[in-house]
Amino acid sequence: MSYDVTTQRCGLAALFDLKGSRETIQNWAGDVLPPFPDGPNTRSEKNETELFHIGRDHWIVRSPLSQEDTLESRLNPADCPPDISIVRISDTLTFFRVTGRDTLDVMAVACPLDLHDSVFGPDAVTHTEAFGLKALVLRYADGFEIAVEQSFGDMIEDYLIRAIS
Amino acid sequence: MLLIPCPYCGKRNECEFIYGGPVGAKRPDPNAVNDAEWVEYLTVTPNPQGPVQEKWWHARGCGEWLVIWRDTRTHDIMEAPDDAT
Ligand SMILES: [Zn+2]
Repeated sequence: MSYDVTTQRCGLAALFDLKGSRETIQNWAGDVLPPFPDGPNTRSEKNETELFHIGRDHWIVRSPLSQEDTLESRLNPADCPPDISIVRISDTLTFFRVTGRDTLDVMAVACPLDLHDSVFGPDAVTHTEAFGLKALVLRYADGFEIAVEQSFGDMIEDYLIRAIS
Repeated sequence: MLLIPCPYCGKRNECEFIYGGPVGAKRPDPNAVNDAEWVEYLTVTPNPQGPVQEKWWHARGCGEWLVIWRDTRTHDIMEAPDDAT
């Protein structure tokens, strides 16, 4: 059986891991970040920069790679207040985009989470499992993204090809 | 398969969690117990037929640690310790 699904291995993005109180991070980062997402495991977006709320006092910010230097100079991790943590993690994650009519079927092979709209809404993002690995899973209007630790990139690419063929 | 209630993420599949051991027995004063009792405290985990209090780590999720009461006969999870009585 084959699925009507397209998978794409995405290039690098600018990624920063943010930990600490929302107020302190907000004060430090100013308007370089989108508005903080309200709910747990949701995301917000402004000017191509996205903010993922992936744990208590824990966020990931993602921008196009071309904005990495700007973001780094604005977030200024080396000088940030001692009670927050800002770490550039751009080269630690590999993202895959899964789109097409049968996307949910393929995601169900990969991931134990209930990804139906009613449970995993349009702005949902969370750490969970994909093919047995810790993975970040995001919903988009036309499908999903899966991010895994970059050293597993080739393996997950292979798994996705096998899952859809 | 257990659905474990994470305080941050809500109910999640058991495979996202790592078992963190039982919520410990009260630590005895090592000078007031004999060797056998001390070894028992260090190595023997509670294994009741009924509610047991356990720590779990949402390692493949948000990273939160949590404590649940689980009934070993039914696998029912009671969210708060008071519910287990
Ligand atoms: Zn969680």
